[in-house]
Amino acid sequence: MKIEYHLQDRFDFAVFIPVLGLIIFGLLAIYSSTLNHPVASGNFSKQLIFFFVGIFIFFIVYSLPQQTIKMLAIPSYLISLFFLIAVLVVGKTIYGAKSWFGIGGFGFQPSEFAKLGTIFMLSYWLTYKSRDINNFKDLAVSLAIGIVPIFLILLEPDMGTAIVFAFITLVMIFWSGISLFGIFVVLSPGIVVFSSVFGKFALIFTLLLVLAALFFFKKDLFNSIVIFVVNLASGFFFDYIFKILKPHQQKRIESFIDPLADPLGSGYNALQAKVAVGSGGLFGKGFLQGNQTQLRFIPQQWTDFIYCVIGEEFGFIGSVIVIILFLILFLRLLNIANTAKDNFSVLVVVGILTLYFVHFALNIGMNLGITPVIGIPLPFLSYGGSSLIINMILIGIVLNIYKNRKTHT
Amino acid sequence: MSENFGSLARKRILFIIIVGYVAISIVQLFSMQILNGPVYNERSNENSVKPIYQTAPRGILFDRYGKVLVGNKPSFSLRITPSEYNDTLNPYIESILGYEKGYLAKLLKASESYSKFIPRRIAKDVDFKVIAWYEENASKLQGVDYVMETQRDYSFGVMGAHMFGYTKEIPSSILQKRKNEYMMGDEIGFSGIEKTYEDILRGKKGINYVLVDSRQKTIGSFKEGKEDVPTIKGYDLILGIDKDAQKVAEESFKDKRGAVVAIEPSTGEIIAFVSAPEFNLNDFATVTSSKKFTELMQDKDKPMLNRATMGYYSPGSTFKMISAIAALEEGLIDTTSRISCPGGFKYGDHFFKCLHTHGSTDIYTSIEKSCNTFYYSTVVKLGLDRWSKYSKLFGFGHKSGVDISEEYPGIVPSTEYYNKVYGKNGWTKGFVVSLGIGQGELSVTPIQMAQYAALIANYGKSAKPHFLKAYVDTKTNKRSEVQPKYINVGISKKTFDVVRKAMWLVVNGAGTAVNIKDPKLNIAGKTGTAQNPHGKDHAVFVGFAPYDNPKIAIAVIVENAGFGSTAAAPIARDVIKAYLIKEKPSEIKNQDLALSKIR
Repeated sequence: MKIEYHLQDRFDFAVFIPVLGLIIFGLLAIYSSTLNHPVASGNFSKQLIFFFVGIFIFFIVYSLPQQTIKMLAIPSYLISLFFLIAVLVVGKTIYGAKSWFGIGGFGFQPSEFAKLGTIFMLSYWLTYKSRDINNFKDLAVSLAIGIVPIFLILLEPDMGTAIVFAFITLVMIFWSGISLFGIFVVLSPGIVVFSSVFGKFALIFTLLLVLAALFFFKKDLFNSIVIFVVNLASGFFFDYIFKILKPHQQKRIESFIDPLADPLGSGYNALQAKVAVGSGGLFGKGFLQGNQTQLRFIPQQWTDFIYCVIGEEFGFIGSVIVIILFLILFLRLLNIANTAKDNFSVLVVVGILTLYFVHFALNIGMNLGITPVIGIPLPFLSYGGSSLIINMILIGIVLNIYKNRKTHT
Repeated sequence: MSENFGSLARKRILFIIIVGYVAISIVQLFSMQILNGPVYNERSNENSVKPIYQTAPRGILFDRYGKVLVGNKPSFSLRITPSEYNDTLNPYIESILGYEKGYLAKLLKASESYSKFIPRRIAKDVDFKVIAWYEENASKLQGVDYVMETQRDYSFGVMGAHMFGYTKEIPSSILQKRKNEYMMGDEIGFSGIEKTYEDILRGKKGINYVLVDSRQKTIGSFKEGKEDVPTIKGYDLILGIDKDAQKVAEESFKDKRGAVVAIEPSTGEIIAFVSAPEFNLNDFATVTSSKKFTELMQDKDKPMLNRATMGYYSPGSTFKMISAIAALEEGLIDTTSRISCPGGFKYGDHFFKCLHTHGSTDIYTSIEKSCNTFYYSTVVKLGLDRWSKYSKLFGFGHKSGVDISEEYPGIVPSTEYYNKVYGKNGWTKGFVVSLGIGQGELSVTPIQMAQYAALIANYGKSAKPHFLKAYVDTKTNKRSEVQPKYINVGISKKTFDVVRKAMWLVVNGAGTAVNIKDPKLNIAGKTGTAQNPHGKDHAVFVGFAPYDNPKIAIAVIVENAGFGSTAAAPIARDVIKAYLIKEKPSEIKNQDLALSKIR
């Protein structure tokens, strides 16, 4: 049986147009924040080139036969790991993190590529034949697939990207149908660590809650003891973990709690970002008219603080339009996840959705002072070739899945 | 495969998280941009708009005919902004500026408590060579810059250090008290006229608003300078000083110590004012190294002391007119009274000497020839307290109230004074004898002497001595005259006639100062030779001219110079001549005033 497709059936404009809109906003903001800048003034044209390269690769990915993605799962993951290890050995250190390969005049971030590899690998593993996520062994392997790149990225160290990987892994496992107990097993060590930040009593109280939960789930004694010991250990190893963080990362967490305490120190960026966004008002100060942006009160604004440029120069209206474009993209991805042909495709889309959303939530949150300053880019808007091209490849994959949603294998 | 894979519940949870977070973001945006927008907007303006304060030029000092005495000139100041400066540069800059080692560190430490972003002036009036050096090495000199400022210009041919006074960077002790009016690095009048008239001389600062980037680097002007506030130059002051007379007075004292004060008798306006030796005001116009200051303070000739208002001198014979006036007023003597001078006066066991044997002496001769015996005897008749009363009437023993703050009152002994110093029975009436000829514990300042001469010249009517004659609001060009504070000692014309006549004879008769006789000037005066325990006598002269219509009264004291007639009187004559006889009067009168508008 041959099915007649409309163009919309093969190509989802509800995904493509918001993405295009976001990229245009991004280009405007990059142009504004690097205009007359002594070192970054070439960034606009570079980003424009990245965009054209990205569009080209996007259409290639979009046109690939549908089985290609699945076939690429294991190789792409292994290549990701290889690059992540290689970058630790021969990478360039930029802003205190060894996360770049220098190739000619351009840089390449393996952690960006690893997003793709990890999403593919997790989707492949979690949907392989009769996988049971609530089986302890299967869960452990799933977690391991996520944790290995996280560990390598933390060594760079790039905490922001590691957090993104953690969320991708968690949400994909969640989507796969993990039980409440499974969620408890995965999350409880994290909660224990978080509570230990608030002192010994909070830690002891949380550990008691873990005990209570274990009684509630009434699992066998051996498993319960193992889980409790893991919790206990993570609680007490927190000090060690905190020390892995670089001083500037520790300071960022502190400055989130009180950005005014040290306005010219680590809280400076957060404060200036808020001033930039807040001073935009309803309509903004106008393109190229924002004094916070034009007078460079926010360092490296074209990367992680690109949203302030929108907030300052395009005001509430521009800022909300950007958020709505993201919302359309997210809801559309959720919808595609619903209609995809097979579970593998579904999980890939869920992984990509999670990736975009976590970047969005942490980046916008940091610009608006809702979350701590964690240095991750805003998808499609922030300056950066690796990030833009990978994001467009991911969109290509999504639309590839959309195109093939009704085909039979 | 779990039966929960992609279940509706799980989709809903993701949906709620996404929509919920987007909603939170929009609410936060609304709160920041709409509700608190104005607050953030203000912050962002504060961030990037910086006021640059422009120092106003100080008012110019003119002499009574409109000639410039103290002006302004543009000069370069070198500055350091601590937030950008690295103090390893200290030795380098110190060697260029010729400062002693460690001076910059000390200078910067003194202003440590102020914002690190405010530049500190480290050198004023620097040579153009230094600026050229800076321009060549600017890239190495992070945190150092220079600005053009206006600065006092003392190159108009008169020194006047003690009357003009100096300005300096406001000390933190004063800044603490006057925070609203001054800022760190501002100049403030610190002595003399600069201090007294600080409030009208300093003018009003201007403000230029500029846009700065996050590193406080200037990007451009704010709103094309529409909000800028222009500087307002301080009021110009017109002093009673006559530049010609002042110059002559200063030149006469070039290698001498002492003081000259000349006053216009009818108004109290000071015509010439010198305290010698003096310091160079230019030394205070630059950021002075402490070495230079200590050097001046330790100089044994005390150039920092304003002798004209703070120096204590014995007036010697010039004080005889007080005794004469008192005795005439009290009716103890008249013009027919004669006293025999055998070359001295015996009082108790003590013999007080006269310089000559004058024989029978009346009041005219007693002043003309300066007979001591006449006054020994007169002052004994007069008694201490009556003598003291008349001395004070003529302004001795208290500050003249001149319009500079550096002044001492002098000492006029009285019963009360001696009781205090020596105890009730610790002194005798004999003490008064030497007071009669201006010796003893009587201490007067040159400005008091000048006022005394002015009062005699003008029959007891004059005004408090003062420098400021008028001031000009440089914005409106409105000139306001200063109202003198008139004095009248309330003594009869008859008495003054006698004393003035006698003083005329000193110069024009057969008196002690015939050497300065000049019919064109028609000077009247009195010489004095004041003994002093520390060395050669001080030469003193008080006088006025012209005799029948006095325009100038003067007091001259030359330290350790011997006779008043030879050392002091000629200086008085030269100053009087410079003031009274103008070669081309008033032709330049408005030329310099016009000049002031350009400055």
